[in-house]
Amino acid sequence: MSAEAVPREDGPGWYLYGVVAADAAVDGKDDVLLVLEGDVAGVTSRVSLDEFDASVLPERLGDAAWLEEKIRMHEQVLEAVLESASVVPCRFCTVYRTEEELRRFLAERGGDLSEALSRVAGRVELGVKAFVDRERFTTGGAVRNDTIRELAEHASKVEGGRAYLEMRRLEQLVTEELIRFKEEVAGNLHARLTAAADDGVQLNLQRPEVTGREEEMLFNGSYLVADRARFEQEVGELAAEYRDSGVELELTGPWPPYNFVPAELGVP
Amino acid sequence: MSSRDLEGYRSGQPAQLADVLERVLDKGIVIAGDIQIHLLDIELLTVKIRLLIASADKAREMGIDWWQNDPFLSGQNGRKSLDDRLRALEEKAGLPTSEDE
Repeated sequence: MSAEAVPREDGPGWYLYGVVAADAAVDGKDDVLLVLEGDVAGVTSRVSLDEFDASVLPERLGDAAWLEEKIRMHEQVLEAVLESASVVPCRFCTVYRTEEELRRFLAERGGDLSEALSRVAGRVELGVKAFVDRERFTTGGAVRNDTIRELAEHASKVEGGRAYLEMRRLEQLVTEELIRFKEEVAGNLHARLTAAADDGVQLNLQRPEVTGREEEMLFNGSYLVADRARFEQEVGELAAEYRDSGVELELTGPWPPYNFVPAELGVP
Repeated sequence: MSSRDLEGYRSGQPAQLADVLERVLDKGIVIAGDIQIHLLDIELLTVKIRLLIASADKAREMGIDWWQNDPFLSGQNGRKSLDDRLRALEEKAGLPTSEDE
């Protein structure tokens, strides 16, 4: 880290949330400023470098409350823009020291930015998560493993040590079956949702501590969607198909198309 | 299940922090060069913050702030590396190291 070599500054810097087309209709509320440069415009706000400077940032990022506030702000500004314009989002904490440096980026990469914007024009990112309830999966009609069904029925009737052993065996079988099932469902969900969208990516599964749900996450995907009605209908059909197996779908968004902009866009 | 809507799936809830984070921290344009966090730091931060947020809400509820002791997140790493370098220099020069005093 060269943090101590960088002189600390307290003047205002430029926080860049994302980039829109120069002619985009963006409501400039919440101190959001558009910096026009050629065919594109940066969605920015002035921030104190005292707050965002590299020398203090590690400390700030250790403050969970500060972090959450700033991350929510980043997302909310972009969501407001998304209501009236297509936007290429930047990653959290993209801060320029000077307007010149910001303008240089917009000017130098204007062509690539315009290209990225045209790719997401008229489209939104929608997230689809799927969770499976182990108990409902075990008793659900979709369990094709006859042994599981018989064991589940039997185990509910017997008592004592034998019941314990049967329960153990049942647990193990369910676990194995569930692994197979999750793979199959995730593959099918992604294929069908991608077909109903312009593009799609699978994201990492989130752990229960993160989701705050008891059910296990079995799928996490995000899609670039032009025809929302068609996509949402497909989500509804998939939800109906898998409901009996204890699977529940969750639709999130619309998001700024974070997953559908080339990350290397900012690299010189 | 109460929030299940007519279509048979959940939607329209306020965005969960985890969903925001996996996008805002991991995705979007990464600008190298003149900005405040350098690219390498961002990669590190992504991992660190992911760990942090995984339990931040719960931890806060319980009054735990373990991240305060994390050298990277609490900004102590600059100090530590200085101390290390000082000690290395002292050893090279055959001086008693700061720790021995």
